[in-house]
Amino acid sequence: MQPFVASISHIFIEMFFFIGSFSRLLQKSFKESMTRPFYFGLFVEQMYSIGIKSAPLVAVCAMSTGMVITIQFGFGLEKYGGKPYAPNMMALSMVRELGPVFTSLMMAGRVGAGIASEIGSMKVTQQIDAIRALGTSPIKKIVIPRLLALLVSLPLLTVLANTLGILSGLAVAALELGLDPIYTFQKTLIMITVKDYTVGIAKTFFFAIFIGLTACHYGMSVSEGTRGVGIATTKSVVASSILIVISDFVLTKLFWIVEKW
Amino acid sequence: MTNKELIRVQNYKKSFGDKTVHRGVSFSLYKGECLGLIGGSGSGKSVILRSLIGLEKPDEGEIIFQSQNIAALPENDLLEVRKKIAYVFQGGALFDSLSVYENLAYPLREHTKLAENEIAQKITSLLAEFGLQGNEHVMPAELSGGMQKRVGLARAIIMNPDVVLYDEPTAGLDPYNTIRIQEMILELKKKGVTSILVTHDMPTATAVCDRMALLVKGKIVFEGNLTEIKNDEDDPVFRFVNGKEVSK
Ligand SMILES: Nc1ncnc2c1ncn2[C@@H]1O[C@H](COP(=O)(O)OP(=O)(O)O)[C@@H](O)[C@H]1O
Ligand SMILES: [Mg+2]
Repeated sequence: MQPFVASISHIFIEMFFFIGSFSRLLQKSFKESMTRPFYFGLFVEQMYSIGIKSAPLVAVCAMSTGMVITIQFGFGLEKYGGKPYAPNMMALSMVRELGPVFTSLMMAGRVGAGIASEIGSMKVTQQIDAIRALGTSPIKKIVIPRLLALLVSLPLLTVLANTLGILSGLAVAALELGLDPIYTFQKTLIMITVKDYTVGIAKTFFFAIFIGLTACHYGMSVSEGTRGVGIATTKSVVASSILIVISDFVLTKLFWIVEKW
Repeated sequence: MTNKELIRVQNYKKSFGDKTVHRGVSFSLYKGECLGLIGGSGSGKSVILRSLIGLEKPDEGEIIFQSQNIAALPENDLLEVRKKIAYVFQGGALFDSLSVYENLAYPLREHTKLAENEIAQKITSLLAEFGLQGNEHVMPAELSGGMQKRVGLARAIIMNPDVVLYDEPTAGLDPYNTIRIQEMILELKKKGVTSILVTHDMPTATAVCDRMALLVKGKIVFEGNLTEIKNDEDDPVFRFVNGKEVSK
């Protein structure tokens, strides 16, 4: 019992520290992103390694998701004679929920881990100190380019995921569920509203900040050598994934209220 | 050597958690001199050097440079100080994602409006001066430790700083690289650069330093000219150099 209570309280303490440094980092990044110099080149570099290089992974994940849930909805709804609605349900869940969340979780794994370990190694080898010692700011040089690249690329990757996911879902609907491809395609396109799409994409801006700042925070706080880098990487992926799934519920609920209003 | 005080460290105190490293360190750095800062491993020499450019903040005490207290400056104002005081990291701290050329160009691109061909010229001549010609497009990981340290030194001084802080510049180097580093430090000193040299390497210290400061148990127990170091058993520097325990 004692160690259990101790570890729970430890988690809470760490959580409060995390929230504190997370908001400080957010505030600093915001402030420094307003002043010169701007490193556009570094942003472009990050767009390539964070955005473009993640596209294949996101594409594969979205396509299999689209296909799997079409089949599941197909079988589930068949009992009630609702098989023709399977593609609609698939497209709606894809756009509002699965596209944004799965893409963000994939990015938390691929990009979040990458950022945390890269910054962690730079910290250990004193490269972060060197940035400061040479009269420049690690926030501007390291944090802001990565954060901005995530803010731009995550919504775009989500659009890609939605599109590919829905298209592969529709393909499966035609091939596996035996639905008429052209009719289903038209029906599905008509059914998704701009609002559904916006709600899904809007979430990803929050997720981008969670992934980017969490990874930067844990990377910057590495102090104890190579082992610390591994620990920081793990913590970063765990923390940003938890943030994504928890905030997803809160955001969904919030957007729902806003939509009704 | 003029006797103008450039940096004054006054009653510097610093603890990490419950571990007290500095208990009131005070010393001065005079214009044009090279001050050797010696002390055992873990005695806090690097912490002092890092504080001189604001990478570390003391818990108490002042660091006066150009009538400003560096210890109290916010990060933004420190950027200016860091253009005047250069820090040579122990391991070089080169950016491993950038080539040697890009590492050296970094401060120039940040703080000057030099055209690319002027930057290239400056880098080529500096590399030659440091015996590193032809290594422009090599990545830091492909260089030997000694070469990395030399590139690190080159990067630190490329902006012509007033003060250079060397953190164990010769540690772990072979005799050839050690001599080269010594020559570079002496060369810079001739050009009027003021410096602090943290080292364990007594031959290098005696070769390049004008004065010594010995750090023991969080305080400076000796500060003075090399000639003042007496060849007797009670002198703290003599005891330190000869591997005997120094007690205050
Ligand atoms: N960021 C830090 N966190 C905790 N302890 C530190 C930190 N930096 C230095 N120390 C401790 O301060 C002491 C002095 O370190 P340092 O200045 O690196 O010694 P040295 O004289 O060998 O350069 C060491 O015992 C080290 O463990
Ligand atoms: Mg040291």
